[in-house]
Amino acid sequence: MTALLRGELIKTVTTRTALAYLATGAAVAIVNVLIVTQFSVLDKEADKREALAGLPILLLLFGLVGAAGEYRHRTAAAAALVARRGRGRLLLARAGAYAVTGLAIAAAMAAVALAVGLPLLAGEPGPQLGSGDIARVAVGSLVAAASSAIVGVAVGALVRSQVAGVVGVLILAFLGMELLATVDEDAVGYTPFGAAALLAGDPGGGTLSWGAAALVMAVWTLPLLVAAIVTERCRDLA
Amino acid sequence: MATVTVRPGSKTRFGLRADAREMNVADSVGMKATHISHVAAPIVVEGLTKRYGTVRAVDDLSFAVRAGAVTGFLGPNGAGKTTALKLIVGLAHPTAGRALVNGPVAGVAADADLLGVYIEPCGAHPGRSARNHLRSLAALAGLPRSRVDEVLALVGLEQAAGGRVGTYSAGMRQRLGLATALLGDPQILVLDEPLNGLDPQGIRWLRTFLREHAASGGTVLLSSHVLSEVAQTVDDVVVIHKGRLVHQGSIDELARLGGGVLVSTPTRERLAAAVRRAGGRVEYHGGGGRLLIEGLDPAQVGELAHDERVVLHELTPHGSSLEEVFFTLTDEDAA
Repeated sequence: MTALLRGELIKTVTTRTALAYLATGAAVAIVNVLIVTQFSVLDKEADKREALAGLPILLLLFGLVGAAGEYRHRTAAAAALVARRGRGRLLLARAGAYAVTGLAIAAAMAAVALAVGLPLLAGEPGPQLGSGDIARVAVGSLVAAASSAIVGVAVGALVRSQVAGVVGVLILAFLGMELLATVDEDAVGYTPFGAAALLAGDPGGGTLSWGAAALVMAVWTLPLLVAAIVTERCRDLA
Repeated sequence: MATVTVRPGSKTRFGLRADAREMNVADSVGMKATHISHVAAPIVVEGLTKRYGTVRAVDDLSFAVRAGAVTGFLGPNGAGKTTALKLIVGLAHPTAGRALVNGPVAGVAADADLLGVYIEPCGAHPGRSARNHLRSLAALAGLPRSRVDEVLALVGLEQAAGGRVGTYSAGMRQRLGLATALLGDPQILVLDEPLNGLDPQGIRWLRTFLREHAASGGTVLLSSHVLSEVAQTVDDVVVIHKGRLVHQGSIDELARLGGGVLVSTPTRERLAAAVRRAGGRVEYHGGGGRLLIEGLDPAQVGELAHDERVVLHELTPHGSSLEEVFFTLTDEDAA
């Protein structure tokens, strides 16, 4: 399994995709901090946490684009032909590799958000964020990033089309969640988008507790990954 | 003789059901029938069928590939070669039948030391360098990193290994695909149209490499839709058309199919009668009163003439070209 993970990690870091997501993530983190601090009243701890919140959907797209790209570029077949442990474990290793890379990207995003955001938040009224709050946002962003990357890999392996996958996820994440919120605002937290946002510190993800959001994320991640592995083992590879 | 020729529409199984463990394969050098065990054949295909909806891409295909030989897997475009190869190496799942590679059913788990595969395209991300592509595959296969540089040198890509695959020419991608297949230094090579896009030097290198691989006991199954392209390289041939087996045997046997012996003699009727008694077929050829004898080789005709005290003025092998035989086997009308 270690060999498979190493092989998949080499794949994730040897194209410009990971670097592009890293640069985009850092830029989005800065823009998010600036928008939230400049255009919102931040007199509550939750509002301040929102300024530092990660963007797990970016990591979901990272995993999705990478996993679906395996079929677009036919690299899935080349890997399956040499992987000793079978396709299922290979996809598991791929999910692990994207989770690890996603963690690195999320860590860089969190570092940028904290470096830019904490000095700006210090000047805001109301209670200041303690080290515990900051740690919770950082750790939550990392957990949300890793699990979102795994969900992305699972969805990418299931749909096998980068365009269809990305468009579908964006529609669900923005339009779908808005529609769901109009019906039942609390229900958003039970979706992977809402749970990941809550984990990452964004209160817009719903009203669930941090632990409940983590549980919801796990409940979405595991079945999706199992479905992707079962499908991968049964399908023909081009 | 162990040649098996099957017209599309008929069924031949070579006795390759689970309870039939042996088959005949023609020896490519001596043209003698070699009895090899089912278990000993590195690649055994049994009743392999692949349907896509109502289309049968591969239809009840059975054959075996022996070690120590290069076997050509031939058929026109759309014959089902690539689909069959994907079934054999485990990339696709058969609708019926099975393919055995060195014993177990293909595709359960890969082993780069055992099976090296090249099926177009080369399976490399265009934004990744050839070296990194091979590094990742070497890691997945549990092979040492040093093997990457070895195969890059082997296929002549070491100078371009740092460049992105997306900038490669078709020939360079072909070489990268071959490097991937050779990464584990496998005993068995399955190559789909490996000569496509290669320059003359590349073709020559690959032919030599494959011959040496077979000479050292390795097994090679390579597909092509151009018989002349592989005729110099292969020992045995498996010809398919519309997903079905139409011929399996040695390349020499294939060349003899449809051929005959042209004979000129002052006592034609006497020789013709002797030939018919010996099981041959005779027809008058051209306006010179010569006989075209089929079903006997030149040596047999010469010996027969000697036994019958028939004087021969001419004894010439008269064979159809390999391409003609190939076209005959895969002729749409015949199918």
